[in-house]
Amino acid sequence: MKRKLFAMLGIAMVVVAAAFAAALTGSSDAATHHAAKSVTINLYASGDVNVQSLWQDHLIPGFEKANPGIKVNLIFSEHGTNDTATLARIGAAVKQRKWPGIDLVDGGLVTTLATDGLNQPVTKASAPNIKLLDQTLLTSVKGAAIPYRGSSVVLAYDSTNVANPPKTLSALLAWIKAHPGKFTYNTPASGGSGYSFAETVVDSLLPQSVITQMDQGYPQQLESQWKQGFDLLHSLNSSVYQGVYPTGNQAVLDLLAKGQIWMAPVWSDQSLTALKNGQLPKTIKLTQISNPSFTGGAAYLGVPKTAKNKADVYKFVNYVLSPAAQTQIINIMSGFPALPLKYLPKAIQNQFADVSANTLRPTYSQKTQSDFKAAWQQQVP
Amino acid sequence: MVLPPVGVIAVFIGFPVGAAIAYTLGKTGGPNSVMSLLAQHEHVAKHGVTTAPYREMLSNPSVREDLWSTVWVTIVTVVVVVLVSWGIALYLRLNDTWLARTVSGLSVVPLFIPVVIASYSIAIFWGPDGFLRSVAYHLGYHGFPSLGFTLTCVVLAEIWVNIPFGVLMMSSGLNSVPNALIEAGRDSGASMPRVVRSILLPMNVIPTVIVATFTGIYVLGSFTVPYLTGPTQPNLLGPTMSNFFTAFSQPQQAEVLAMIVFVLALALGTAYVWANIRASKRAGATS
Repeated sequence: MKRKLFAMLGIAMVVVAAAFAAALTGSSDAATHHAAKSVTINLYASGDVNVQSLWQDHLIPGFEKANPGIKVNLIFSEHGTNDTATLARIGAAVKQRKWPGIDLVDGGLVTTLATDGLNQPVTKASAPNIKLLDQTLLTSVKGAAIPYRGSSVVLAYDSTNVANPPKTLSALLAWIKAHPGKFTYNTPASGGSGYSFAETVVDSLLPQSVITQMDQGYPQQLESQWKQGFDLLHSLNSSVYQGVYPTGNQAVLDLLAKGQIWMAPVWSDQSLTALKNGQLPKTIKLTQISNPSFTGGAAYLGVPKTAKNKADVYKFVNYVLSPAAQTQIINIMSGFPALPLKYLPKAIQNQFADVSANTLRPTYSQKTQSDFKAAWQQQVP
Repeated sequence: MVLPPVGVIAVFIGFPVGAAIAYTLGKTGGPNSVMSLLAQHEHVAKHGVTTAPYREMLSNPSVREDLWSTVWVTIVTVVVVVLVSWGIALYLRLNDTWLARTVSGLSVVPLFIPVVIASYSIAIFWGPDGFLRSVAYHLGYHGFPSLGFTLTCVVLAEIWVNIPFGVLMMSSGLNSVPNALIEAGRDSGASMPRVVRSILLPMNVIPTVIVATFTGIYVLGSFTVPYLTGPTQPNLLGPTMSNFFTAFSQPQQAEVLAMIVFVLALALGTAYVWANIRASKRAGATS
C-alpha cells in the first residue's frame, strides 16, 4: 500500500513539474542571448511590476539594440523590499572605495544616496541630455541624481457609483465616513499609494515648515506631531473596506476592478496602464484632490560613485532621457516625462498641458518615511 | 572525518547566528557594521551588553499582540493537523479501499502547490466575495462571515499547507505496525477502538511528536501564509519581522523578534529530542 501511495505522489509530482516546465521555458533563453557582449551595466530598480516591465521589455532592449557591445543586467526588487539592504550595500562599498556590484539605481533609495553623498554628482556626467532637464529638479537631491520620469498618487473612483468625486482632502474624508466599506488604502509599509494617502492626511494637520523639514531631512524630534493625523486615520478604521488594509498597491486596484470599493488612492502611472490593458474597467476615473494634494514627484536615477564603466552608464542614461525613450515611458507606463515638453512630439505636449513632474507635491525623506510607516503600524490599525 | 561538516555548519550557520545575537545585545561593530550603517533607532552598547532592544520590543503593545497571535495560531494549527492527519492515516491503514486511497492521495496535493498561490487562493476563497460566501448567499443565508484576512483564515491556510507532511508521516508510522499484531489483538477479542488505543497509538508516538514539533516550528516562522491571508494588525511575527527589517529600517528590532521565535522553536525542538531519547531508551530496554 505504501507503494501505491508513492505511485500517487509520483504522478502528482510529474503533473506539477510539467506545468512548471511549460511556464518556465518561455523565459529561459532570454538570459543567454547576450552572453558574448563585452560591457555589462548592472541596473538596480525597485517598484511595482509596471516599473519592471518598463525596463525589461522596453528601455533595455531599445538601448541594447542601438548600442551593441553594452549589456544591461536588471536587478529588480518588487515593492522595493530590498531597498534598505541595497542602500547599506552601496553605502558600505562606496565608503571602502569598492565596486558595489550596481552601476545604476532607480528607486526611492536614490534620493538618500544622493543626499548622503554616495552618488556621482551630475556635473561629472557625460550625458548631454541632462543639460536639457529642468535644473530645479536637481536642487532637492544636491545635484547628485538624475530625474527621468514623474509619477503621482491620484484618487481613483468608480464613476457608475460616484457622480461627484471629492475635490479636497476634507471632502474626501467626509465621503469615506459617509460611505462605510467603499474606500481603502494599502498599508504604508507595502506600497506608495497607501503611504501617500496616510502622509497626506497627516500633512494636512502640520505646518508647512515642519513638512519641509521632513521632506529634506530627518527631524526625529518633530515626529511626535504626527499624533493628531494618526488619530484621524485611526477614526477611519470602521469606514474602510472590511476594516483591513490590503498589502501592496496592486491589491487595491484589484478591489476597485471587482467593484468591491468605489474609491481609493492609486499611482497614476500604474492605474493608467491598468486602464489601458483592461485590468481596470473604463468606468474607473482618476482625479487629483487639493488642500493638500497627494504626494508625487520625479523618479530619479543615481550612479554610485564607485560604479564601473561610467561612460557606458551615462550613454544609457542619455538614451533614457532621449525624446524617443521619454515618449516610450509616457505611452507604455503612462508616466510623466522628465524632459521638458518642448523637446517632445506635439501630441505629447497636448496630453500634458496642465501637469508636469516638478509641480507635484514632494514626499518625506527615506528615513522619515521608515519612521512614518512604523508609527502608522503602531497607531492606526 | 567529522570535521568538514562541523566546519561548514560553524561558518555558515553558527557565525551568522552568533553575529545576530551580538547585534540584538547592542554590539554594532565588526560583522554588524554594514547593517548598522543605515539602521534607525538602534541601541548601542559601548561596554558590555544591553537588553534595551528586548525591553523595547517586549513592551511594544502591538508586538505583544503579534506574539500572542503567533502562539495561539501555532497551538490551534498543531492540534488540528495532528488530529486530522491521524484520522486520515488511520482510515487508510484500516480500510485499504479505493475511497481510502483517493482521500489520502488528495490530502497530499497541497505539497505540490506553491505556498504563495495556495495562500492567495485561500484568502480569496474565504474572502468577502469568495466561493463559500457566494454559495451561502444564493442559498438565502446572508450572514455568512467573511474570513479572508483574519487570523482564522491564517489558521485554515496553515492547516492546509501542513496536512500533507502530517499524513505522510503518520501513514508511514502506522504502516510499520505489523498486521500480525493487529490480528493477534482482534483474535483475542479486542474491539477495533481497543486495538487502536492499545496497539496503534503507542507504536505511533514518535511520528506524532515529529508532526507536532515540525508543524509548530513551521508555523512559528511562517511568512507567506500570514502575509497574504492575515489581517493588518495583529498578525504573526513573520510579517512583523519583515516590516521591521525593511519598511521600518530597524534591523536590530527585527532580529530581536527572530530571537523570540528562535526561543519558542527551541522549546518545541527540545520536546522532539526528549521524545526520541525516551523512545530509544525504551527500545533498548525491551530488546
